[in-house]
Amino acid sequence: MSIQIIHKGMSDSIQDMGRYGFQHLGIQPNGCMDILSALLANTILQNDIKAPVIELHFPSSEIKFLEETIICITGGNFIPVINEKSVELNTPILVQKNEVLSMLQPMKGKITYIAIKSNYNEEMWLNSNAYYGKRFEKDQIITYATQLNNPSEMFTTLHSMLNPTLLKKVQDFVFMDAPIRILPGPAWQDLANHSITQLLNDPFAITSQSNRMGFQLVGPSLALNIANHYLSSAVTRGTLQLLPSGEIIVLMADHQTIGGYANLGQIILVDLPRFAQMKTGQPFKFVLTNLETAQTLYREMYASFKY
Amino acid sequence: MKIKIQEWSVYSVGDHALVFALEAKMDVAILQKIKQLNEFIVAKKINGILDIIPSYHTLTVVYDMIHFLSDHNEASDPLIIFSTTLLNEFEKNSLVPKKETTQYIVPVCYDLLFALDLEKMSEVKSISTEEIIKIHCSTIYDVYSIGFVPGFTYMGMVNEKIQMARHQKPRNQVAAGSVGIAGLQTGIYPINCPGGWQIIGKTPWKIFDTHPNKLAKFKVGDQVQFFPISKKEFDDLNEYK
Repeated sequence: MSIQIIHKGMSDSIQDMGRYGFQHLGIQPNGCMDILSALLANTILQNDIKAPVIELHFPSSEIKFLEETIICITGGNFIPVINEKSVELNTPILVQKNEVLSMLQPMKGKITYIAIKSNYNEEMWLNSNAYYGKRFEKDQIITYATQLNNPSEMFTTLHSMLNPTLLKKVQDFVFMDAPIRILPGPAWQDLANHSITQLLNDPFAITSQSNRMGFQLVGPSLALNIANHYLSSAVTRGTLQLLPSGEIIVLMADHQTIGGYANLGQIILVDLPRFAQMKTGQPFKFVLTNLETAQTLYREMYASFKY
Repeated sequence: MKIKIQEWSVYSVGDHALVFALEAKMDVAILQKIKQLNEFIVAKKINGILDIIPSYHTLTVVYDMIHFLSDHNEASDPLIIFSTTLLNEFEKNSLVPKKETTQYIVPVCYDLLFALDLEKMSEVKSISTEEIIKIHCSTIYDVYSIGFVPGFTYMGMVNEKIQMARHQKPRNQVAAGSVGIAGLQTGIYPINCPGGWQIIGKTPWKIFDTHPNKLAKFKVGDQVQFFPISKKEFDDLNEYK
């Protein structure tokens, strides 16, 4: 089984749960921006939950399926069509040989995932299939190891196994209209008092200066009581870094491993898929939470999957 | 959470990383302690730890919330119990002989073909280029951090006479292997990338290779001394060919 990229999107790639264990060498972890939607796609297809998935941004790649197979589309709704016929999200889809999947318009969210009912068969690098800087190229062929014996029968089985409760839970959470929860970071104490007030009360929005490395925000200009220059230390996914301009950049999946700007805080890990799916320009607020809540929410969410 | 244990501060960064920090300064004794704690935690092979990242005065432990401390979930403060026990063990263990420091002699060609900022530095500092090269090669540098891009090596301390601030406006592209100075630090660019350091030479060594057995040549705590080579020697040793 294989697929072909017949039209190259803006920033599409294969992603998985990330490449950990090499950050001390400066190697970024990568991985899905919205891990929850990726887990959901693999769950619907009864795949290995951590199997690599296709991550599409908009404008998206067009994908041709070179054999009959079953796929599942989750995450943002870009109005997917197969051979110009619209298809549903969050459900198994039977795809015929040589059919083409395209995305028409970014209706909801910013990232779409596609899981395929087959075993991804490209070489790993450092224990992960997540693309490292690389993006889909026109005419690229991606291979999968297994050809389904009886796709129609498999399709019926997968359909009967759908779990509407899980589906609703993940969808409602990822697209929930509520503040983004953060924990204060090491440089929180260096923020000017009025800047703390602004950070927690004023609206922010994601700008178009955003990619898999980080999302730059527009909002109040924040100030520190000291110079914005720290000895570099490790940063994590979700870190709110204060730039010298007073603006915030939020580090995402392809973030660099260390940073020397003020580390103001972190978006809690469970909320990062929500943040990743937030539309450019849509106003939102930050709200403080605590470590225990953050970890409990994360464990509860991941307990829904066979993680 | 934030706790003090002897000279260590231990605090959470976000919900899935724990930082062990010493006094915030670039200091070789502090670096040594960070390096030792790093080796100590790595050797323990603790379940659920994803990454252990040393950098200057901090050691950051990134963990998987599902598996790390899963046996302590019932404790009211599992992270505090974990870090206290760990640091106590580490302090006791510090009597055990240390792993030797890995030292490298790194060839650098200071030819003006590569050393884009050497003449300007000579002018600003009123030191001959020969003298700058001599000074740059006479210090044994410690590797304080790796990052920015994969394998970028931050080293110190650069002799006061040749310290120079980075460019106000970074170059769009600095060639892989370029050796630069930024204040009291010297560094090597592992790949072609944008950068603002004062470039004074280039090593023929590939210091980052995607081959899984190679990756980054240096790690935090290693020592590096530069050795001047001619353009001819550079060409002979060039690993980028």
